[in-house]
Amino acid sequence: MLFIPITAQKIRMITGSIPEFFDTIYQRREYLYELLIQHFVLSLTAIIIIVIIGIATGIAILRFKSIRQIVLGFVNFIYTIPSIAMFGLFIPLVGIGFINALVVLVIYGLLPMIRNTYTGLNEVDSLYIDAAKGMGATPSQIFFRIRWPLAFPTILSGFRTMVVMTIALAGLASFIGAGGLGQAIYRGINTNNSSLILAGSISVALLALFTDLIIGAFEKRVRSRKLHTPRNKLFTAFAAVFFIIIPLLLFIFNSKVNSPGRSSEIVVASKPTAEQYILGEIIARLIEEKTSIPVKRTFGIGGGTSNIQPAMLSGEIDIYPEYTGTAWLFVLKKKKISNPDTLFNDLADIYNKEFHLTWVTRFGFNNTYTLAMFDTTASREGIKTISDLAPKSNRYRFGAEFDFFERDDGFYGLSALYSLNFKKIVELDINLKFNALENGTVDIIDAFSTDSRIRQMNLRTLIDDKNYFPAYQAGIVVRNETLKKYPELKSLLEQLNNTIDDSTMTMLNYEVDISNKSTEEVASAFLRSKGLIK
Amino acid sequence: MIEPVIEISGVTKTYEGQKLALDDVSLKVPDGGFLTIIGPSGCGKTTLLRLINGMTDFDSGKIVVLNNDIHEWEKVSLRRKIGYVIQGAGLFPHLTVKQNIQFVMSISDVAEDLQEERVMELAQIIGFSESQLDEFPDKLSGGQQQRVGVARALALKPQIMLMDEPFGALDNITRRNLQAEMKQIHNELQTTIIMVTHDLNEAFSLGTVVVVMNNGKIVQADKPENILANPASGWVREFVSTIRT
Repeated sequence: MLFIPITAQKIRMITGSIPEFFDTIYQRREYLYELLIQHFVLSLTAIIIIVIIGIATGIAILRFKSIRQIVLGFVNFIYTIPSIAMFGLFIPLVGIGFINALVVLVIYGLLPMIRNTYTGLNEVDSLYIDAAKGMGATPSQIFFRIRWPLAFPTILSGFRTMVVMTIALAGLASFIGAGGLGQAIYRGINTNNSSLILAGSISVALLALFTDLIIGAFEKRVRSRKLHTPRNKLFTAFAAVFFIIIPLLLFIFNSKVNSPGRSSEIVVASKPTAEQYILGEIIARLIEEKTSIPVKRTFGIGGGTSNIQPAMLSGEIDIYPEYTGTAWLFVLKKKKISNPDTLFNDLADIYNKEFHLTWVTRFGFNNTYTLAMFDTTASREGIKTISDLAPKSNRYRFGAEFDFFERDDGFYGLSALYSLNFKKIVELDINLKFNALENGTVDIIDAFSTDSRIRQMNLRTLIDDKNYFPAYQAGIVVRNETLKKYPELKSLLEQLNNTIDDSTMTMLNYEVDISNKSTEEVASAFLRSKGLIK
Repeated sequence: MIEPVIEISGVTKTYEGQKLALDDVSLKVPDGGFLTIIGPSGCGKTTLLRLINGMTDFDSGKIVVLNNDIHEWEKVSLRRKIGYVIQGAGLFPHLTVKQNIQFVMSISDVAEDLQEERVMELAQIIGFSESQLDEFPDKLSGGQQQRVGVARALALKPQIMLMDEPFGALDNITRRNLQAEMKQIHNELQTTIIMVTHDLNEAFSLGTVVVVMNNGKIVQADKPENILANPASGWVREFVSTIRT
């Protein structure tokens, strides 16, 4: 789950922005509504599959003793795997998106459903079974008229647990690009927008709570065995409408809205950073304004390149903004090249040959890695370059996201080159490292040179005096197939060539991160200022 | 001589890894009789009862029920011809009194209006008002539950009714009342009843024939007064000695 450290400032940020919160909901009602439907459809599909598989399995293990322990042990074991890990585990098998999320939700939901079905059916007093059998009931009559109704309250409470859990867990589906209300939360975190975080969280909570209330009321009626009074028939009808008809309508409506022929649609993705959201939105918006191609946005893919690259190869994603250094070192696992232009040309060559992907253009800025610390500390200690830091590094704690520790141009090469020897090394979520710096959990973090918070928090970026970090110029990667299908795309995207320099990018980031403007707003304002759209 | 509705000949039954539960048991049950089976715990009386509706199988011997060998009967249809009442009534807790009584009829596809009619008849027999029919079993007293259990077993007008310690869990007063009612029901309907009990007084006051069992064998089966007058052995004499006459 996402961990958000609560500080006094955070509380002020949340409580002090109630009007802003309602404004956000109003401004983004269509976006939130779309996410709500995605969330509903995803959860409901998962719930239906879980109910079918769960009940069938529960009945099967009641009958076949030999597989009982194996099945129960297995679902129990699966339940203990952290959900984030589970989403990740299925990426190589089913890719990212709806199916992946569905598979994970189903796997998690099975435990309560199977266990309660089995327990409920198994714990029916043998006295009743014996009585029914002795009166001449057939095995199926015994099951449907005695065993099932007597087990139903237990099965229903398992269902209730499962439904609430599934709705909550679906909030993580955005991590692998399956949308849902979690996307608002994730986007809110990535773009430093607490209203959006709140809107997403509250919506998920309300959805779960409301569903729980309805099932709870239904459960109460089942337990009091008064299901067949006229008033309760009305209630049952209402519950049926809520759980079957509304979702069905939503589903139909949703599929109409979202799939004008899925094959014709272009999927634009981005990594989960404000900058990537902005670049993704710029690309998506430009295509929408200048062509009639339908665009689908799957922004903020968790895990970034590691998960987007496979999806590009499988065709689930068509376009995304990428950095040359990341592609060269992380994707291709090549050695460092100092000249950015040579790097770009070689990269484009290999991508085209090996992956059938095209590097269409570069935006112009270089968002390379840098180390950042508070300017006050740095000037007091006289630290300007990473070499200055090296002899004093054993006095500081260093924090970075897991990616930085994993990648070849990351932490270990850096500390080897500069002989860095930090007092402590902390692995943080990419979005929380500035908070960690702010509240003193760490003293130095890695950062990107265009990050708005460097300016906002008055941080000093240390000069990479030994030229360790390679160029991280942002460019656009497109599938060759997509370019073939829509030849007009290439020249259109080339219009973005060299339109954003370092300071422009920092400014755009600042507007989203600090001024809390929406990425849509910032992207279209930028495109307009360059005369690319009207 | 009245034609027997049940004829058990030389039946032996062993439960897995245990001693003989039934040892060469033979018994003829006359039509319209009220048989009570009595004997110490573990003597095989419940096992004997459960053989008759095919709830328990046996190793050797022969059982004929309603003129057919029990192995030729389809179990489900055999059981629907035999009423079955168990200790504590075993009423289905998720069904109302009415639904409990209807159960056997509804699983045998009896028409709805006939079901309604029969429920009303049976309610009258056990002295239930119409409003009581909509109660759930947990709202009823033990005696009431047992009455419903009897009504449920009688629903399809069975020729035979098996009762396994039906009044075992009830207090004495309720028990006496139910015994009297049972006697009346038997007199009116002429259903053949076989009742297992551990209550000597019950066995001797209700039974037209009392079957005394010990160690898987029938040690004596006769009219109650004959057993009291001429016990088959010293053990029987001892066993029935506590009875109030």
